[in-house]
Amino acid sequence: MMVSDQDYQLFLYALKNSSKYDFSEYSEKSLKRRILKVLTDHSLTMTALISKIKNDTAFVEKMVKEITVNTTELFRDPQVWQTIRHTILPRFKNNSVINIWHAGCSTGQEVYSMLIMLSELGMLEKARVYATDINTDVMDAARLGEYKYRFNLAYLDNFDKVIKENPYNYEEYNDVPYDKYFTLDKANDTIKMLPFLREKPVFKKHDLVTENNTLYVKFDLILCRNVIIYFNYNLQCKVFDLFHQSLYDTGCLIMGMHETILGAPAAKFQKKGHAYFKN
Amino acid sequence: MNYKAVIIGGSAGSFQVVTRILNSLPKDFPLPIMLCLHRLKHVRSGFVEALSLKSSIPVEEPFDKDSMKPGKAYLAPANYHMYVELANRIALSTEDTVNHSRPSIDLSFITAANAYRDKLIGIILSGANKDGALGLKKVRDNGGVAIVQDPNECEVKTMTQSALQLTSVDYVYTTDQIINYLQKLR
Repeated sequence: MMVSDQDYQLFLYALKNSSKYDFSEYSEKSLKRRILKVLTDHSLTMTALISKIKNDTAFVEKMVKEITVNTTELFRDPQVWQTIRHTILPRFKNNSVINIWHAGCSTGQEVYSMLIMLSELGMLEKARVYATDINTDVMDAARLGEYKYRFNLAYLDNFDKVIKENPYNYEEYNDVPYDKYFTLDKANDTIKMLPFLREKPVFKKHDLVTENNTLYVKFDLILCRNVIIYFNYNLQCKVFDLFHQSLYDTGCLIMGMHETILGAPAAKFQKKGHAYFKN
Repeated sequence: MNYKAVIIGGSAGSFQVVTRILNSLPKDFPLPIMLCLHRLKHVRSGFVEALSLKSSIPVEEPFDKDSMKPGKAYLAPANYHMYVELANRIALSTEDTVNHSRPSIDLSFITAANAYRDKLIGIILSGANKDGALGLKKVRDNGGVAIVQDPNECEVKTMTQSALQLTSVDYVYTTDQIINYLQKLR
């Protein structure tokens, strides 16, 4: 089954006109798939879906949550986190304050990855960590800081690679116990972040597509990983502008392993390893 | 040239086959090749390097929105789905696994079939699940060329047999025949 181009346009038009959401510059292929999933999960025809979008605001909120992709992991791509730990965060070591924005934080695993790392580097106290997402449900999960353990066995491997080991010095091994940061409850199959981590970040609803920097703060570090892949080129440019404006001159942007800045906005940043520094 | 792209899907037992194919292509192979291969969860890096070693054309894991060029192979990065958008561009996604797979061969094939229609050559190789069958059907339904590695030659037959059960194909070929077919594309 497919979403036809005509239905797709009607969907975008209805959403834009009857809600505060605008998906018209989302990447088409994955959005069509997500729409199809909504149609299947709710046993709706496209006509019925569009009518619901126009008349049922509660449904729209629910649908937007279902459409956005929320995959995330603790220390996803350990090599990126090793870079953050050993080459990026040390740049801000002498700052009196370090401001960090997780844009599109989803269920918060990366926020906790950062908090754990800041704590290991003795920088947690002076960090101000902001986490935003378009989807308030996933942010509720992020605030809770509780994750399924069994499905995320890689979490502990990743933790070991980033926190215990040092790729730049194989002889170094920091035997940091997991319970310094989270409790492992094997009976209930959960990892729960400790309160001192959970209380740290400021969570706020934010839509990268339609809003400016509503945090009214400038940042040393912006993490926006595997978010812009769902946007088309025009929208990506707009988001890079927003990030550029929101960074301090020495600040940097970190994206997903296979995300890059293409075209005009590329001139505003300089790529060093996994990070884009403001030019 | 009647075609615009080749897409190859495989899982268990496909690595050697892909290596042989890439090794046998002319340096000026006229089409981009998309590779959607399952890998073990913990093998996240090193795969592209391993494939590059013996390949006569460059192999890379693309970035999101990269445009594809002839004579290059694009390997779906670990833990991402790889789609084809119009205008030869690749799109990546971290959506949930499909049939326990990310990358999903079906998704790559279906999006490629929609982008290239009858200008696409789709090839399914050895593998231990049924991912790719639906995608190959879509290639065929859109008028593209559907090729399946001869199950008798496959280290694991499940993937090729599932494809053959679901759709008619243009050719059931051994690795040598696949190579021969691709070498003749001019």
